[in-house]
Amino acid sequence: MATAPSSPAEAGQEGEATPLSLGPECPDADLNRFDTACCALDISRVRPIIAAVAGGAGGPDWVEALLAGTRIADVNQRTAHLLGSYEGRDRMIGQPVTAYWPSEGRPALAELIMAAVADYPTGAPRTRKVTSIAFADPLLTVWTAEGGQCPDIVFLSLAGTVIDDRSLWTLLASDERYRNLIHHLPSALLQVDSTPMTAIFEKLRRDGVSDIASYLDDRPELAIHSRNIVRVTDANRKAVQLFAADCADHLIGSVDYLFMASPETAKRVITAHFEGRRSYAERMKVRTFDGRLRDVELSVTYPTLPERLDVTLLSLEDVTDRLRTEAQLRQLQADYTRTARISMLGELATSIAHEVNQPLAAIVTNAETSLRWLAREEPNLAKVGQLTARIADSARHASDVVQRIRGMAARRTPERTVLDLNRIVDEALLFVRHELEARSIELSVRLSDDLPHVRGDRVQLQQVVVNLLLNATQAIAQAGRPEGRIDISTASGADRAATFAIHDNGSGVAEENLDRIFGSFFTTKEEGIGIGLAICQSIIAAHGGTIAVSNHRDGGALFHFSLPAAEEN
Amino acid sequence: MAAPAAHGRTLRLSRPTVIAIVDDDEAVRESLFDLLQVEGLPAKTFGSAAAFLADDSAGGFDCLITDVRMPEIDGIELQRHLRARGSLMPVIFITSLTDEATRESALLDGAIAWFTKPVTDEALLQALRVALARNGGGEGAASQHPSGN
Repeated sequence: MATAPSSPAEAGQEGEATPLSLGPECPDADLNRFDTACCALDISRVRPIIAAVAGGAGGPDWVEALLAGTRIADVNQRTAHLLGSYEGRDRMIGQPVTAYWPSEGRPALAELIMAAVADYPTGAPRTRKVTSIAFADPLLTVWTAEGGQCPDIVFLSLAGTVIDDRSLWTLLASDERYRNLIHHLPSALLQVDSTPMTAIFEKLRRDGVSDIASYLDDRPELAIHSRNIVRVTDANRKAVQLFAADCADHLIGSVDYLFMASPETAKRVITAHFEGRRSYAERMKVRTFDGRLRDVELSVTYPTLPERLDVTLLSLEDVTDRLRTEAQLRQLQADYTRTARISMLGELATSIAHEVNQPLAAIVTNAETSLRWLAREEPNLAKVGQLTARIADSARHASDVVQRIRGMAARRTPERTVLDLNRIVDEALLFVRHELEARSIELSVRLSDDLPHVRGDRVQLQQVVVNLLLNATQAIAQAGRPEGRIDISTASGADRAATFAIHDNGSGVAEENLDRIFGSFFTTKEEGIGIGLAICQSIIAAHGGTIAVSNHRDGGALFHFSLPAAEEN
Repeated sequence: MAAPAAHGRTLRLSRPTVIAIVDDDEAVRESLFDLLQVEGLPAKTFGSAAAFLADDSAGGFDCLITDVRMPEIDGIELQRHLRARGSLMPVIFITSLTDEATRESALLDGAIAWFTKPVTDEALLQALRVALARNGGGEGAASQHPSGN
């Protein structure tokens, strides 16, 4: 990008430029004497347009019309090198100037032609600074031949320091390669012209806005306006695929469609731009043209030199499938954990059953043996006495086992953290949701959003909710209800307590069992070991709460516990 | 079972029937011992399968009552050890397990009965009577045939 003479290789390729031959009547004809890029333009065909514009009737497209009709009459070597093709000067002559003149410079050129040919507007300058990617501060000058010679020729010179010694054409060629590369990149790319934001940002800064994020929140219309004025200027093949567009043209235009499904993203993209960051990335959702919603990783690369490069690149990686796979993996993991837990519970139940059953078996056999001794003609009372003592021992042993199981719930030093009961319910539901679905039980959950926090052990309280849920599903299964239903709710109760209620549509609790349902080893289930509700009660009691059961007026059992609100400290 | 065939019945008649009780829970095995005692059935108790197998090498037991869940060698393996030795000793299981697959495998290995704890005295004694009758009859018959009886 250093200032340097034109490349010898390219100059050689074009050969020595032939002197211009506009005729002897044109003293300025030898354009090669100019060190700057010079060319001669033939305006004979656009006289009517020039007249119309000068008469104030140019029409909206006069710039394009004027330049499309203006033919290149000659170019000097420098111009051929800078603007021309590899075919050089011969190829350029006779072509419309629009074939070579960059579009951003066209209004300036057209206005200069008007000034030179028609002095319109009167006294208009014949020299202007223009923008160019090849020159630093280039100066464009137009003039016509003195004394009415070659009246249809306008001369043009472009002076300035060359910042890139490659010709415009090679720049264009490299631009072409770049475009090809972009086009075939495996991720979706949108090229965006964000220059309109520059003016907006300048005004905001003048107005003293520094926190643009909250400014955008307060004025949603600004983000919407920005989405409309910032334009996508190019899109690659992958972007066309991503949006399910018919062709790239459908993606070109206002960038608005990109943010349809994620309007907040637009605000953050604007904010990062305003703050002068070089890039910004986030995961967003886009709505495709055929109405699907996709998850994409958006990466924005802002122009690093905003005064020269006004191109912002947006890359979009479709991660929908990856996210879906991740979600499936998480589900599998959750299923695995749940299965492991359930099988652990099964193991636990089996070993507890074994341990409790041993003394019971001994008691039964000893009692029956005693009866046999007593039934003899001469009862062996000594033997009966011995057996009765053993019965008492075994009964005591069974009771110890029960105590130990009870203690299991309390053995681990329970944590006492401030908890949200709603979250505990949500987490507990993760464990049993599958169970409920498998049994086609309809679940309704109403969680109060005005619930006091409680202080306690998360795992223990989860266990209470899980146990109550499992108890409810079993009650439904036992009652043989084809359409099971469980309603659970949380509420804020008396004395700032957090309460939880669960109502099933099983057969409810028999009146005589209401008092002892929370006792250890109470069960009405064939396979149950009857410790679930006992554990619930000991946990709730340890948390300073209460648990109760009643029969719901609409049938089924209603379990209800309440926990004191956590003290604020 | 190495006794000469002709003496099979005589030996059996002259030797009192002895029942082995294997359970790692002392209260359980003592209670079973007492039940057999009241019925006049001599028994010997073992706290583990290994202790029983060591003692049984002479083949002095007529029936085995065993638990299933025990440390090291469990009841199912114990029965397989016996069968591997060529023993046809009747085995009665008394267990807390309700696992159907384990029960089936015990019965496939030739168990004569499978009870879930607590077992009623009548059911256990009935199974014992069947076991001892089969044992005496079965082995007796097998050992008497060669004598041409």
